[in-house]
Amino acid sequence: MSTAGDDASFEARLALARAASATLREAIGQVIVGQGAVVDQTLWGLLAGGHVLLEGAPGLGKTLLVRTLASCLDLGFSRLQFTPDLMPSDVIGTTVLVSTAEGGRHFALHKGPIFGQVILADEINRATPKTQSALLEAMAEHACTIAGVRHAMEEPFFVLATENPIEMEGTYPLPEAQLDRFLLKVVVPSPTEDEMTEILARTTGRERGAPPRVLSRDELLSLRALCRDVAVAEPILRYASRLVRASDPAAPDAPEPVRRGLRFGAGVRGAQSLVLAAKAVALLDGRAHVAFADVQRVATPVLRHRLLRSFEGEAEGITTDQVVEALLAAVPARPAAVEKERPPAAPAR
Amino acid sequence: MPRAAAAAPEARSFRPLFERWSGRVRARLALRHVLTGAAFGLLLGAGAAAALWRTRQPGRSLAGAAGGLLGAAVGMGVARRKRWPDADVALYLDARLAAKEAIATALELDGDRDGLGPAGAVVLSHAAAALTQATPGAVRARLLRPSHLALPVALVALVAISVAPVPPLPPGPVAPPGAEKVRLAQVAGLEKVLALADARARDEAQRERLQKLADDARKLRDQLRAGVETREAQAEIARLKDGITAERLSLGAGEQRQGMESALGKLGENPDLKGAQRALGDRDLVRLDDAMERLADTLEKTSRERALRTLEEAAEAAKNGGAPDVQRALEASRGRLAEQGKRVDRLRELARELGAGLGEDGQQALRDLEGSGSPRDAQRLAEKLDEALGKLTPEERRQLAENLKKKMSAAASGEAGPGPSKRELADLADELATPEGRRRLEGELKKMAEASPSDSEEGERQRSLDAAEEGAGEAEEQLGGGVPRAGGAPRQSAGQSAGPSGDGPGHSGHTEGDGPGSHAGVTGAVEGGDIRARAATRMSKGRPMPGVVTGRTAGKVGETANVQGQGALGGAAATEIGGVERSDVPEAYREQVGRYFQPR
Repeated sequence: MSTAGDDASFEARLALARAASATLREAIGQVIVGQGAVVDQTLWGLLAGGHVLLEGAPGLGKTLLVRTLASCLDLGFSRLQFTPDLMPSDVIGTTVLVSTAEGGRHFALHKGPIFGQVILADEINRATPKTQSALLEAMAEHACTIAGVRHAMEEPFFVLATENPIEMEGTYPLPEAQLDRFLLKVVVPSPTEDEMTEILARTTGRERGAPPRVLSRDELLSLRALCRDVAVAEPILRYASRLVRASDPAAPDAPEPVRRGLRFGAGVRGAQSLVLAAKAVALLDGRAHVAFADVQRVATPVLRHRLLRSFEGEAEGITTDQVVEALLAAVPARPAAVEKERPPAAPAR
Repeated sequence: MPRAAAAAPEARSFRPLFERWSGRVRARLALRHVLTGAAFGLLLGAGAAAALWRTRQPGRSLAGAAGGLLGAAVGMGVARRKRWPDADVALYLDARLAAKEAIATALELDGDRDGLGPAGAVVLSHAAAALTQATPGAVRARLLRPSHLALPVALVALVAISVAPVPPLPPGPVAPPGAEKVRLAQVAGLEKVLALADARARDEAQRERLQKLADDARKLRDQLRAGVETREAQAEIARLKDGITAERLSLGAGEQRQGMESALGKLGENPDLKGAQRALGDRDLVRLDDAMERLADTLEKTSRERALRTLEEAAEAAKNGGAPDVQRALEASRGRLAEQGKRVDRLRELARELGAGLGEDGQQALRDLEGSGSPRDAQRLAEKLDEALGKLTPEERRQLAENLKKKMSAAASGEAGPGPSKRELADLADELATPEGRRRLEGELKKMAEASPSDSEEGERQRSLDAAEEGAGEAEEQLGGGVPRAGGAPRQSAGQSAGPSGDGPGHSGHTEGDGPGSHAGVTGAVEGGDIRARAATRMSKGRPMPGVVTGRTAGKVGETANVQGQGALGGAAATEIGGVERSDVPEAYREQVGRYFQPR
C-alpha cells in the first residue's frame, strides 16, 4: 500500500527521469546532428534494460552515437570490431598461464572486451556465427562462462551492435536466436540536407571537446528500476499479446500481409519487449502508465527483426516494417464497440 | 510540487468520479438503443397501420403506438444486454478525454488496492484529474444514428395514416357474362312455343314431346317473370330451340331414314318432282305443299297423272322402307295434287267456255295461270270467273251448260287425255243447269278466290313448329343474347339465295350448294395464324352426317360436334366422340359459321 509520501516520491522520480532524459538528449545532440528518433529509441533500450541493434549505411554516425552515449553515461565503454577472423575468446576473454615472481605459474583470467558496461559491437554481422554466439550468454543473462567459471557482468550492461545492410559479401547474417536478444532494431536513416550541412560544419572545423557526463551509473540503474514500476493495464497487455499473436502466419486473425509475407512471427520475448519498450516510452514521457500509443510507437523497432520473411514475402519485396504497419492497422487496440464510439479527432494510436 | 500534494485526495475521488461519468455514458448509450428500437418499432407500427388502413380496419394509431412502445422495450432489452463493462467505459473515457489510458489503468489498479504499486497512486490521481476536468460535452456519446431518421419518418407516416380517409371499397368481383338476373313480365315469343301444346301431333310420342316443349316454355316464362339468370334463360331457350328443330326434322329420321331415302330416290326419278324431292329431303313440308300446289296449277293432266303415280310409288317405297310417316305425308301430297288438279281443270274449262264473257282481265289471269301455275293466278282466275258467272243471263247460262254437254259428248270416253274428264264436264254442266248447282259453283269459286288451299297435316305441323322456333328466337333476342336469325328474311324456296344484300360492303356470302341457310351477309377475314383447331377422327361411314347442320358447339377438346345417339345433329359414331384434338377457334369465327348454318 503506497502512502502519500511514496506518491510524491514517485512523482518526483518521474520528473527526474524526464529531466534526465532531456539532458541526455541534449548532451548527445551536441555531438550527433539530427537522428532524434534514433537517439530516442536508443534511450528506450537503455532504460528498458535491453540491447539495441543499429542498422544503417556506413558513415551515418552509428559508432559515434554509441561512443557519445557511453561518454555521457560515465560508464565503462568497450568496442569490438567484428571481423571474420575474430574468435570468441577475443570477445569474452580467456585464461592465460602467468608466471609469478616466486617462479610459480598459474592461470589468470584475461577478460575480454565484453566485460564492459556499454559494449559497441561494430559490424557484428562480419564475424562468424560462432563468434556472434559468444555474445548470446552475455546478452541474455548478463554473465558469461570462461573456463567453466561463470562471471557476472557489471550492471548496467548494455550492448549496442551495428550492422551494414549494404555490403553483404563476407557477412554472416545474425541467427534468429541472437536477433531475438536485441530489444530493438533501430534503422539509422540518412541525414536531411540541413542535418548534413550541420554535420559538415561541425566535423570539418576544429575538434570539439567530449560531451559532458550527465548521468551516473546509479542514476541510470534507478531509472531502469523506475521503468519497471510503470503500470500497464490489462487491455494494453492484451493488445500487445494480440499484436504478437497476429504476427504468426498460422493465426486465424493474421492479416493478409502476414500470411503472405512471413514464415515465422514474433514470440513471447517479442511481446515482453513490446511492453518493456512501451514502459520506457511512457517513462520518458513522464507518465506512470502505458498507453496504447506507446505500444504502437515501439512496435516497429521491437518487432521488425523478429519477423522471419517467407520466400514469397522476400520475392514480393514485402518488408517487415510493412508487415508491422499492416498488423497495427488490422489489430484494434480497443474493443469494437468502444472503437466505434471513439471520436475521429482523438489520436487514433 | 502541487500535483504531488494533491495526489492522495484525487486518487480517493477516482471511483466516484468514474461512477458518475460511466453512468452518464451508459445512460446515453442505453437511450440510443431505446431510440433505435423505437424507430424500428414505429416503422413496423406504421406498416401495420398502413395495412389496417388498406383493409379499412380501426386501431391504426394504436398499432403505431404499440409498435413504438414495443420497439422501445426491445431497445431497452438490447441496451441491457449490451451494457458496457467498466473496462470498456474506462477505455471510452480515455479516448474521449485523451487520457492515454490513465483511466483504464487506474480502474484496474483501484480494484486491487492491496497490490497497488508505487505508480498506482500517481496513475489514480492522473485519472481522477482527467475525470475532474471532463465536461459532459467531452464524454457525450453520439446519441443519434442515421437509422434514427426512421423515427420522424415513421411518426409522420403514422399521423398521415391516422388522419387519411379510408380507401373506398374495392369493386366486387366481375360477374361472369350472363350472370345478371333478368326479369320479364311478357315474353311474347314464348307464347308461340306454348302454342305447340295445341299443335297436331303425328303420333302419341310426338304429342308428348310437343307437350313437353310447351311445358318447358311455360316453366321458362314463369321463371322469367320471377327473375332468372340471363345465361340460364338463354340456355333454356337454346334447349327449346334444339327441341323444336329436332321435331321439325323428325320426319323420316332415325329408323325411318331408309324409307325416307327410298322415297326421295323415287321422287328424283320424275323431273317434275325435283322440287318436291328437295323439299322433302329438307323436311320442309310447307314447301312440299307449295310444290304440289304449283304442280297442280302448271302440269297438264298427263304430266299430273305421271306425277301422281310417282308420288304413289314413293309412298310405297317409304312404306316398304319402314317409314310410315313419310308414306302418309306423300299420300297426303298425292291427294292434294289430285284434288287441286281437278279444281284447276274445272277453272280452266269454265274459263275457256266463257270465252270473251270472261273479260280481258279474266283471260289474262287464265294465261298467267297456264304460264306460271302460281296459286295467286288461280285465285285471280277464280275471282274473275265468279264475276263473269254473276253477269251471265239465264239464257247465256243455259247456253253455257249446253256447250259443256256437247263437249262432254265429244270428249273421249276414257279418263285419260288432256283437259277435264267426261264426268267432270257432266258435273260442271249439271251445276250450271240448276240453281242449286249454280250456287254451289259460285261458292266454290269464291272460296278459291279467297285463299290458297289449306296445308297438309305435316305442313300445318311444320308451320306450328316454325312459329314456335321463331318465337324462341324472339325470346332469345329479347334476352339480348343468342344468335339472330340469318337476315330475318321470310321463308324462301330451296336453292334460292337471297343474294347480295344491303347489309354492308364486302363479298357476298357463300352461294354454293343448296343448303337451307341464308347465304346473305359478309364473311369477314378472321385472324387465323397457325392452325387453331383440329379434329382427328374417322367419320362413320355407316351413319353419314345429316345434310343439315343445325347448331354449334363450344368446340371443346375431347368432345365432338355431335351428341351420340340423340339430338338434332343426328347420330354420331363412337369414333367421332372425342375426335376434337385441339380447338382454339376464335369465338367470332364460330359465331359467323354458326350464323351461316343457322336453320331458318
